[in-house]
Amino acid sequence: MYRYDAFDAEMLQDRTAEFTDQVRRRVAGDMTEDQFKPLRLMNGLYMQLHAYMLRVAIPYGTLSGAQLRRLGHVARTWDRGFGHFTTRTNIQLNWIKLKDAPAILESMAEVGLHAIQTSGNCIRNITADPYAGANAEEVDDPRVWVEAMRQWSTFHPEFSYLPRKFKIAIGAAPNDRTAARIYDIGMKMRRARDGKLGFEVMVGGGLGRTPYLGPTIREFLPAEHLLSYMTAIMRVYNRHGRRDNIHKARIKILVASLGAEEFARQVETEWEALDKAAIDVPEAEIARIRASFASPAFKTLPAINDAVEALKAASRPFAQFVKHNVLAHKVPGYVIVNVSLKAPGEVPGDCTSDQMDAIADLAERYGFDETRVHFDQNLILPHVALEDLPAVYEGLRAIGLATPNIGLTSDIIACPGLDYCALANARAIPVAQEIATRFADMEVAEDIGELRIKISGCINACGHHHVGHIGILGVDKKGEEFYQVSLGGSGLEDARLGDIIGPAIAGPKVTDAIEALINTYKKERTTGERFVDTYRRVGLAPFKAAVYAEAH
Amino acid sequence: MTATVSLLKAVTGNRLADGEVVFWGEGGWRERFPDASLFADPADADAALDAAKADPTVIVDPYIIDVRLDGEFPVPTSFRERVRALGPTTHLDMGKQAEGGPILEAIAAASGAARSAGRSNLIKKR
Repeated sequence: MYRYDAFDAEMLQDRTAEFTDQVRRRVAGDMTEDQFKPLRLMNGLYMQLHAYMLRVAIPYGTLSGAQLRRLGHVARTWDRGFGHFTTRTNIQLNWIKLKDAPAILESMAEVGLHAIQTSGNCIRNITADPYAGANAEEVDDPRVWVEAMRQWSTFHPEFSYLPRKFKIAIGAAPNDRTAARIYDIGMKMRRARDGKLGFEVMVGGGLGRTPYLGPTIREFLPAEHLLSYMTAIMRVYNRHGRRDNIHKARIKILVASLGAEEFARQVETEWEALDKAAIDVPEAEIARIRASFASPAFKTLPAINDAVEALKAASRPFAQFVKHNVLAHKVPGYVIVNVSLKAPGEVPGDCTSDQMDAIADLAERYGFDETRVHFDQNLILPHVALEDLPAVYEGLRAIGLATPNIGLTSDIIACPGLDYCALANARAIPVAQEIATRFADMEVAEDIGELRIKISGCINACGHHHVGHIGILGVDKKGEEFYQVSLGGSGLEDARLGDIIGPAIAGPKVTDAIEALINTYKKERTTGERFVDTYRRVGLAPFKAAVYAEAH
Repeated sequence: MTATVSLLKAVTGNRLADGEVVFWGEGGWRERFPDASLFADPADADAALDAAKADPTVIVDPYIIDVRLDGEFPVPTSFRERVRALGPTTHLDMGKQAEGGPILEAIAAASGAARSAGRSNLIKKR
């Protein structure tokens, strides 16, 4: 795992000292709110409905045990004992006091955590494939490249005042686990025929009120030119992105208005003119970063473990856990363990301080001290020896985090919605809780199979509703909570934006509508066909008919 | 559900130092909605808002909200403001709702709403 060096540590200390002084000046009245607000946002501090919210960056979604435990400590000491993992693989604390913020930043800096690049019109904390270094199909470890980009983008003077916020993700394998096409820049690692390493570059994706899937502007960018090519994209955006209208300021609008081809041409022209050698990371530095992501000391273990097999046969819940939450690892005898933060009835993505402590313990004891965050708002123990799986399962079960529902109906993404968020029009969490509870039964859930429901409380789409197999968007209809339902979306390798099925549905009728959709799927599906594939095959009509016959 | 006519105004905001939801009331900013001053005359609400804005080291972005009477109990008209007055609907142990009382119970029982004009204006301002 990458450890911040002395330069990083000093930078965090300076940043904390600077913000401490800014808070002091604001409280003393030496600064107006208009002057202070951009400064607090640059430190991840938002004003929400009930309190300040602090968004903490989790670079490439990776946490050490010490960092996870420190987040638990911060939540326990200065918040209400829990945090909320987000679709950008960060964590948000919902009950922060401004006067505590300097102490919180200081405490986090001790373990290399911070809130830099979690707000403002800069390049935000960059996302990577959460199974990095654990997955056999990955082309290369994306964290190496994301760390290089972190160092390049943090406080980059040219890209700190962009027209709008800017989000980048790097996927590492043919199977996308970052939702790369909905990012301002999404990348997918590739190898050319000659074995050369590179990226497919997609630009101009995004959700919100004008959703787009990012078109590919370059099929293959040699990896060593990552930073110069990024610089070229950022310069074209910085020059031509609209600053006059906040709703048209994202790069997706620029790419859509120019057309992907013309945008790509401008980027290539810019790139040709750049002094690439002055910008690209030297090979030696990449090697230095790569060394810090070296594989842990895996043991040679049998690929099948008799005790695990026996427990699977004896315990149905354990067998279900293995089936839905545990994935093959690149090293025989190891597995990737997905930790669902979606126990039906609980708040999607929420994790208590005690749970964070316990997961940190499990990671340290059984997982080479690593935890990852998945954009589905779940956690991952990426390197668990198969022989330790029963102990890890027991450890998770003891803290209520062994729900075997990864990818099933109750594994729902939900933004904080109107329960916390100042921008929301409607609640998202209670809708998720009700649906998850209705479909909690494992037999029912397994019969339905893979189903990705995503809920946002407003058009800004933090809950990724446009790319849900079933997307649910909260709207305010004359002061009442209504929900617009869409079908057929995906943010992954089968990326597509969902189709709105019809008029928004009253809050209390949403779960019935979801059940009607699922019943329609069961009627229409062919053997082994997923919900989303059935929808894409048969189209809107039967689903629409079912919802508006039953829910209205 | 009884009356739903919007009758009254109150002034609210979040406290600078800790983000706490507060309402303008007797003797200053109060943490509980039941302690909010309710203005039948919009001009009085405007005056309270002006006073609030004059002390920017205490309150961030104060604004006026609509309040109606449900029976004898004042209730913020908009759902958003009811959530602010109570706390998250998903954590009934958090926020102001934890302490209970008849007015908070009336707010929790209320339904139907118009959007909070004050808050909408703030969002537009961004």
